[in-house]
Amino acid sequence: MKRSLVLNRLMRLTLVVFLTLAFVNCTSEKIKEFTDQTLNVTDYLKDNDDYSMFLEMLEVTNYASFMNTYGTYTVFVPNNEAVKKYLSDVGAATVKDVPIEDLKEIVKLHILDQVVATTDFTDGKIATPSQQGQFLITGAANIAGVSSITVNKTSNITASNVIVGNGIIHVIDKVLRVADKTLAKSIEADPNLSLFTEALKATGWYDALDKPLGTATVTTTTGGTTTTTTTKIGHLSVLTQTNEVFKAAGINSLADLKAKYSHLNDPMNPADSLNLFVSYRILPKLQYLADLAVSQSIETKAPLEVISVKLAAGTILLNEETFNGVLEKGVVVNRGLSDVTASNGVIHSVDQNFFIKKRIPAPVYFDLGDQPEFRQLTSVFRKPGTSAALKKELFKDVTWDGSDALNYVCATKGSSSYQDRAWNGDIIEIFRFRTNNTQNLKFKTPVIIKGKYKIWVSYRWKGTKNPTVRTYFNGIALPRLVNFQEQATNTINERVLESQGYKSHISPFTNRFNCRLVGIVDVLTTGRHTITFESLSNPGDTAWMDVVEFRPVDMDQLYPRLESGGSGLVP
Amino acid sequence: MRTKINALLTILLIFVTTVSCNDYLDLRPEDGIVRDEFWKTKEDIQAAVVGIYSSLLKSPPVVKVPTGGTDYTLSETLFMFGEFRADMVSPGGFVTPDQRDITTSNILSSNDLTSWAVLYRVINYCNTVIELAPGVLKTDPTLTQKQLDNYLSEALAIRAYLYFTLARTFKDAPLKLTATLSDTDNFQLASSTQNQIFEQVAKDLELAEKYAVSSYGNTAYDKGRVTVYAINAMQADLYLWMEKYPDALAAATKVTNSGRFALIPMSGSWFSRVFAQGNSSESIFEFQFSTTNLNPFYDMLFQRPEFVASQTVLEDVFGVDFADANNVDKRGDRCSLIAGTNEIYKFTGLNNSERKSLQEADTHWFVYRYADVMLLKAEALAEMGQGDEALKIIKEIRDTRGAIKLTEQVVDPTNKADVIDYILAERARELAFEGKRWFDVLRNARKNNYERKELMINMALVNAPADQQQSIMAKLQDPNSHYLPINEYDLYTNKALVQNPFYK
Repeated sequence: MKRSLVLNRLMRLTLVVFLTLAFVNCTSEKIKEFTDQTLNVTDYLKDNDDYSMFLEMLEVTNYASFMNTYGTYTVFVPNNEAVKKYLSDVGAATVKDVPIEDLKEIVKLHILDQVVATTDFTDGKIATPSQQGQFLITGAANIAGVSSITVNKTSNITASNVIVGNGIIHVIDKVLRVADKTLAKSIEADPNLSLFTEALKATGWYDALDKPLGTATVTTTTGGTTTTTTTKIGHLSVLTQTNEVFKAAGINSLADLKAKYSHLNDPMNPADSLNLFVSYRILPKLQYLADLAVSQSIETKAPLEVISVKLAAGTILLNEETFNGVLEKGVVVNRGLSDVTASNGVIHSVDQNFFIKKRIPAPVYFDLGDQPEFRQLTSVFRKPGTSAALKKELFKDVTWDGSDALNYVCATKGSSSYQDRAWNGDIIEIFRFRTNNTQNLKFKTPVIIKGKYKIWVSYRWKGTKNPTVRTYFNGIALPRLVNFQEQATNTINERVLESQGYKSHISPFTNRFNCRLVGIVDVLTTGRHTITFESLSNPGDTAWMDVVEFRPVDMDQLYPRLESGGSGLVP
Repeated sequence: MRTKINALLTILLIFVTTVSCNDYLDLRPEDGIVRDEFWKTKEDIQAAVVGIYSSLLKSPPVVKVPTGGTDYTLSETLFMFGEFRADMVSPGGFVTPDQRDITTSNILSSNDLTSWAVLYRVINYCNTVIELAPGVLKTDPTLTQKQLDNYLSEALAIRAYLYFTLARTFKDAPLKLTATLSDTDNFQLASSTQNQIFEQVAKDLELAEKYAVSSYGNTAYDKGRVTVYAINAMQADLYLWMEKYPDALAAATKVTNSGRFALIPMSGSWFSRVFAQGNSSESIFEFQFSTTNLNPFYDMLFQRPEFVASQTVLEDVFGVDFADANNVDKRGDRCSLIAGTNEIYKFTGLNNSERKSLQEADTHWFVYRYADVMLLKAEALAEMGQGDEALKIIKEIRDTRGAIKLTEQVVDPTNKADVIDYILAERARELAFEGKRWFDVLRNARKNNYERKELMINMALVNAPADQQQSIMAKLQDPNSHYLPINEYDLYTNKALVQNPFYK
């Protein structure tokens, strides 16, 4: 009796254990493999029905998996209605019916490889080109009382700054189109520009404007990895004028134009005034109105001639100058007809006929850090607390001997190094300014109008281990040397200092930055020149340079000063 | 044996169930007071009302901004709301990216400065007084109805002013008129429209006016606490926004006829009397910063300047006589700003030649000054067709201030637009950097269904960076862009809110 009782209990226990094991099992632990659940672009599009057609476009062109990888992308996503309108425009029934090459170009046009939020938009182009190569222009427009941000003039942004795992999305209501006509063909296609087209053909500039863009490839090898960067080159900007504008100046036909301007009677000759008339209207590089608005003077294809730009309230005026107390009224740029993108440039329109003007020397404040290569780094350029280093091969307008990179530093505001006090808050930094590191640092200056100038070089002072530098302008050595170990002072009267060849180029004063007069030069031609810096010592520490000022000899050399930490001038 | 154990257990059980540990389990906070212990005496109400004024000066120490941004005090917020989108203030060296984006009309809802938390915090303090103070009448026999009404008028007026500011800045905002007393309160409030908010503000100010005090017996209280004249000033401002010009005129006249305020003639000590010391006969209501409660502007405008005066202010607003250096508008250089560096001086200066030291930076924040109300009256008169009366007021101010001839305008009293322009220009001179400029221009631009929208566009052209100018002008064509977006954190926590349609 006792035994069976024990056995029974044991059996009951074992039964209970087995039953528990049978019904309660261990499930494998679910380990979260992602640190971040935010969707990437393609997943985000999958999640949203209104973007299904753009998603289809990505899948057909095989870009869908690429847009799901990590990175920094900006994608302009057209909603379904936009894609439907595009399909009806090109006469295709579905996305698959569009020729694959066209579709690829369209998709590439909507993707940028840097994160650009709407807070970085200006009135002109986004600094980074699209993957397709063409630049996108932004702005704002008011339609029926409602304002929206626009892309490429006609597409409105309906949802902005949607942050996804690999970048940012802006939703647009119209598909962006690739500009496929060249400048020449676009101008020819407009009947209002018929006289301008004839002038282009007569002077041979038509072919120059019809040339497609070339590509420049730069290959750099660093420590085993080879990176190839390709950029499109050969953009041009054209200032056209309509037939009405010509008529208002009394020119009704090509014959009138020739009679007025062609003094050698050979328009194909580059020296002929009619040829100059046309070449004066062709600007190098892709310059939208927003780019013109921030430049003081723009180079043209006419040799040695520039156009000055002034922004008065909202109007852009070309060649408006007060010369000897007399105001020479400028030419108004017609905003409505301007900013027309072509495949190899952009077309603008002016409201008045104009011709080459004699220019008087004007000061050029050459901020050494203002290089297009640094400007392209939109997250670094003039953003406090950032810096960048670029190798020699990447620069177009800067070169040097030696293997070091050139650094760009935009210091944090209030930095104890005082480096944020430079003009525009940025400086270039040279690791070791000596042979084998960085030597014979050569810059291409901005356009300088011909005349006599005094050249001032500013630097950030360091008490020890800093170079003594000789300056060369167009290869000719200038008499005075710059000693980076010379500290600025404001205890001596500034005019006395000026006579000794020193000044403070920024306002308010800081003794960390000094500026030295290196010499007087006679600039013989209006255009870009070179300035070279040779280090004569063997410094063991970093050197910094800020601005090179070219001031006409009859201008006040001290005023205006440059705004310390800002972009203005202090009178 | 068993029954003995059972009996013992039963007795124990009965013992436990009948004796309760109510108080033992009752935990009260050791460092604060619970609501049923407060609101018992009139001193409690006074403490709460003083607390409202204190919160105008700075935020409580435990406050954290949910998005991790900077917690700006109310006066800094009022300064920014009134100035940073207008043409008199430019970004300084230490401007934050959020601030700069707002000055270029690139406002995203993720921008920390679009948070209205600091305003609603003070509104809640006012609501708490309004809701719980009347209960004290039952518990404290020494509290008179009149005294209670006076306290209520202060809470109502400040709440009304803050809702007025919310409506002017955000257009539509939720109207919470009850105190937040527990977690179970409903926070999912939809926004009320701007007009609804204005109506509520008008109602509150009318009630506050009935309950208000005309004088507390000493100057500091009269200028630092809400009197009936501060309420009238708020009403004048409000009725101009509601385009009810006769009501605005009546409210402003109550202030000008009171005999309590007068313009101080211009002299070497004018700046230090009116601004550095404050509480002068020109002042109606000021935030009372003191040496124990310093103002935030010393850091914001001087030590690490986030904003400076625009380049055009000295010449275009105050006028510069290049021929005679002594011919200056004394409200300009070394009063509002410092010429050359364009530093904003009004809140950091001690007198016309030196600044206050950091430990003494106690300049008040001026909510309403007498000159402000005079110009509001002029605006009401101009809108009602009495242009010459309006011009008389402007002349009186200009003469007392010694404004220079360069800024004098000869205006035809029958041309309403020109008279309004002259008033706006004089307000820019008189009330420079006091958080008024943006609201003044917006109020005049939106009159009569945005009849004069170009006032906003022209103001934007002054400061707009050259490469964003066209976008800014196009954006400002849309009236919804004149208001700030609702902060994304607020949209996330309150699902009943709808974002301003301009901010897509």
